[in-house]
Amino acid sequence: MNTPAVNVTWEDLVSTALVGTDRRSASPGEVLEQAAVQAVRARAGRRTREGRPPAPAAEETRPLAARAAGDRLARMLGGEQARLLPEWLEAAAAIGVRVPAHLIPGLLDLGARDRSIRSHLGALTGARGRWLAELNPSWSYLLAEAADMPSGDLWEFGTSGDRRGYLAALRAAAPAQARELLERGWDKETPEDRAAFVLLLSENLGMDDEPFLEAALDDRRREVRQAAADLLTRLPESRLARRMAERAARFLVKDGGGLRADPPKACDSTMERDGVRPRPPAGTAQRGWWLQQVIARTPLAFWAGHLGLPPERAVQLKVGDWAREVAMGWTRAAILQHDARWARALFEVEPLTDLLAVLPPDEQSARAAELVVRHPVDGQMIMMLGGVARPWGPRLAKAVLKKIVETSGTQPWNAGELIRLAGERLDPAMHGHVQEIAELAVILRFRYDMSKELS
Amino acid sequence: MSAGVANVRRVIERWSRDQVLSLAPDAASQKAAAGVSAPGKWSGSGALPDVVWGECKGSGATPYRACVDLSEPAYKCSCPSRKFPCKHALGLLLLWASDGVPDGGAPAGWVTEWLEQRRSRAEQQDRREREPAKGSRPSSGSAQRESRVTAGLSELERWLTDQIAHGIAGARQTGLADWDELGRRLVDAQAPGVAGAVSRLSRVLREEDWPGLLLEEYALIHLLAVAHRRAAGLPAGLAETVRSRVGFPITREDVLASPWIRDDWDVVGARDEEQDRLVARRIWLQGRATGRAALVLSFAPIGQALDASLVTGTTIDAALAYYPGASPVRALVAERYGPATAGPPAGTKLSRVPGRIAEVLAGDPWADSWPVVLGDVIPSTESLVDESGNGLPLHPAGGVPWRLLAVSGGRPVTVAAEWTPRGLRPLTVWDEEGQVVRL
Repeated sequence: MNTPAVNVTWEDLVSTALVGTDRRSASPGEVLEQAAVQAVRARAGRRTREGRPPAPAAEETRPLAARAAGDRLARMLGGEQARLLPEWLEAAAAIGVRVPAHLIPGLLDLGARDRSIRSHLGALTGARGRWLAELNPSWSYLLAEAADMPSGDLWEFGTSGDRRGYLAALRAAAPAQARELLERGWDKETPEDRAAFVLLLSENLGMDDEPFLEAALDDRRREVRQAAADLLTRLPESRLARRMAERAARFLVKDGGGLRADPPKACDSTMERDGVRPRPPAGTAQRGWWLQQVIARTPLAFWAGHLGLPPERAVQLKVGDWAREVAMGWTRAAILQHDARWARALFEVEPLTDLLAVLPPDEQSARAAELVVRHPVDGQMIMMLGGVARPWGPRLAKAVLKKIVETSGTQPWNAGELIRLAGERLDPAMHGHVQEIAELAVILRFRYDMSKELS
Repeated sequence: MSAGVANVRRVIERWSRDQVLSLAPDAASQKAAAGVSAPGKWSGSGALPDVVWGECKGSGATPYRACVDLSEPAYKCSCPSRKFPCKHALGLLLLWASDGVPDGGAPAGWVTEWLEQRRSRAEQQDRREREPAKGSRPSSGSAQRESRVTAGLSELERWLTDQIAHGIAGARQTGLADWDELGRRLVDAQAPGVAGAVSRLSRVLREEDWPGLLLEEYALIHLLAVAHRRAAGLPAGLAETVRSRVGFPITREDVLASPWIRDDWDVVGARDEEQDRLVARRIWLQGRATGRAALVLSFAPIGQALDASLVTGTTIDAALAYYPGASPVRALVAERYGPATAGPPAGTKLSRVPGRIAEVLAGDPWADSWPVVLGDVIPSTESLVDESGNGLPLHPAGGVPWRLLAVSGGRPVTVAAEWTPRGLRPLTVWDEEGQVVRL
């Protein structure tokens, strides 16, 4: 048997094989034999090579979720009752646990597609989640979410998420100190951070913050100006609130038994500085757009004096032209300024979902129940119900269950959506009392078990 | 408190949800199983150390009765599904895995009846297998096969030398059609092993360095054809390896006739691979005392039942019988004596893997996968690394193993992986709590 030549390199063999041995006057059988020897030799002789493992993740500070809870999360990530995932995350965050490590990648992938679940992921995925986010750019959003209780040097050295968490906690404990800390390094912050930090001042907002916020109206970044204007609107004594009230007094006046709107003819630079956006969205008239924004930013308390009427009466007044813009301005104002009385009054005129959010939970539920009893099921009702936070009170629960039974024969599509919504919002302890609606019973039972595992 | 008295030692460690789902024949079954795993669907359920049972409410009037013998595991359900295990059996196991089945209780009549049936059937089979095999290899027909294979392989040898003579530069254009035709002729020549190797050639064309990879594959197939031609001069073990690589069948009886090796076998990982409308399930075992590796292979048409008797992360006390060869790895479970205490398997040092692989290849130069269980390795995005910085690369086609990275968090873990010439494919990792995580 001939020993194959070993001095032929692998590259030589490959190039000979590519062009063919006919052109190189070699034996094809020998090339194949040499290649076999070299291939096996290379496979058998492969050594370890130097590898650089990643630095270890920090120690976890939170306990691991119970095994049953983790298993349920795995099922939900696999698609079972996936709509309930946000509730799982919220409940787990509330009891301060973290998720099993092997589920973190699936959860972070989900968060990459769905912003709405991100806020809990920072804490729930713990040190491991942050470690992974440093390795995988598509998960880097996690580093902007607050993780655990802030401490020590976080403000100076932490990621933006850490620093937001730190400032939020400080703001809750010592509002003035938080603002002063922010003011000291204000010029060096990035525009994204500035916008996020201003929003954090909404906690414990007071007139002490007014000078700082007024100055922020001259910021280079629009988001910062907008956030500052939104906060100043909630301070009736602020300079911005007064300027807005002056404008509102000119643009909307009492006229006999009704109101007359005379929208601004131009959006001047002082209006723009106060947060009025000059360019309307497509399909909206310019002047109406400006009017709506001025009303939205005017302290709601102003109207009682200006019109001499309480909100319940004011919202009933006839407005000739621009009625829509006036109503939308007040609605935005009630939401922006968290004014329950105005929200209630406006809801009587038009039951908008966003207004419900301003009301206390019990009242949300009670008002929604009235609507459900009085109206047939349609898309608008489902939208409205979508705005009522869980758990739904007994009256609303009863009304919705009745509606489901009524509509399941005639409008199965609406009944289906109603069932899913009810499944997400009803008190899960009701699971034993809704057996006649099998799908609902399954969802409620799922949530019931879930809440037991996370308590 | 009477905890000491009430605490029955659990012989079978409760499986994790992942382990249960790995038994499903396909993704649709996994989903369906999750659907019937709600506690409200089950009644009369119970569990003893090695059996779980329950009745599942279906669409009909009578509930389906499902029962799982955990020691095998073996499944029984009264539903008409053709899938195996069916969604009820899997759903019941999921419920059990999440602590939803009460321990203890007397099994219903139908449960004990089925267990009895299984026991007597097993005894019968036992007797049959212990009887001497009647007449070994049938010789008629086999001579014809030998000559067909010989003719087919010498044609293959000629074809390969022709390719090298004319050059393989055009393989990207003509390869697929050529290999298709060649594979068909090898199937006709009754050499399915070689036909399979030829049909897998198309994979190399996806790679950037395909000329080198193709030459490697051509050379190894050529080596096999030459080895078959010269089989008479080869050592017995190597000759058996060549026969099995070529694709000569070997009967179950012949395998079982070889010496059995009894050990506590850790089921370290499994991987399903689709090829030619079949799913091949490769289950890797490692012996606790012997340290030996074993591969239990099963095939099924896509969507149909696969071997679900070996659960990743469990350990069985069993005797294995190996297929003959120079680096034997494929094996049959000859007899199961029962479960053994589970736990992470013993890992090898990473630095010893190259030596081990060299030994394997010295016996069987065509070996292209081998199980390794590595202790104390730290996964990175592209390799597994030990504490001294020695690394082994991961298979590039697998992508970054994020779940593995998540479980390790940059700390040493035990990982079971499949070695391939292109890199490791991680299969299983044991987390901080010792729980099994399939990758």
